[in-house]
Amino acid sequence: MAPSLSYREKTLYASLAAELIVYGPYFFLHQQNTVNKVAGMIITIIVLQIVLQLVITVFTRNRVIDERDRLIELRGYRAGYLVIASLMVIGLGMLWFHAAIGHLHLDNGMMGLHFLSVFFGMLVIADITKTATQIVAYRKAL
Amino acid sequence: MPAIRNQIRELRARREITQQELADRVGVTRQTVIAIEQDKYSPSLETAFKVAIALGVPLEQCFQYDAHGKR
Repeated sequence: MAPSLSYREKTLYASLAAELIVYGPYFFLHQQNTVNKVAGMIITIIVLQIVLQLVITVFTRNRVIDERDRLIELRGYRAGYLVIASLMVIGLGMLWFHAAIGHLHLDNGMMGLHFLSVFFGMLVIADITKTATQIVAYRKAL
Repeated sequence: MPAIRNQIRELRARREITQQELADRVGVTRQTVIAIEQDKYSPSLETAFKVAIALGVPLEQCFQYDAHGKR
């Protein structure tokens, strides 16, 4: 019998869809970033995730989560952690590089916004990596 | 060949137990039963015992270990 989607898989696909819909424009539409925009995206993703999870929960009868689900979840978090740790090292390296060549002006009013944008971007990439890794793990041999 | 192989599909068919029924008895999802049957997932010892008990056979009749297998 062909494996249909389990409850966890459905929630992962919903999460990935929500993340791509909300965060996609952030990466691909190069608009002026603002603190309000970032805050708005965070609130939107939270609300969208809650709504999608509720819909999936209502329409899924069998909501069992077992040891394989937990193992896949851990693999996803490991991949997400490796991505965020790597991006942090690269980000700090670039910061050091720009400071060393004198391009970093901490008195600049936009610096805080730049930092917010970079760290938010890192979080988003790590989160999408986590979800995508979990989706792939469900289709691969563990 | 995988390191841990199993005869769950054959044992289940002989007893006319569906994947969903076995999953319910063991406390896992149907997708996990499918993954185990396809040698895509090696269950924990506890789950392996539960599967053997649900199928009414000793553990070694249900699961076999091949030291030269993959994983």
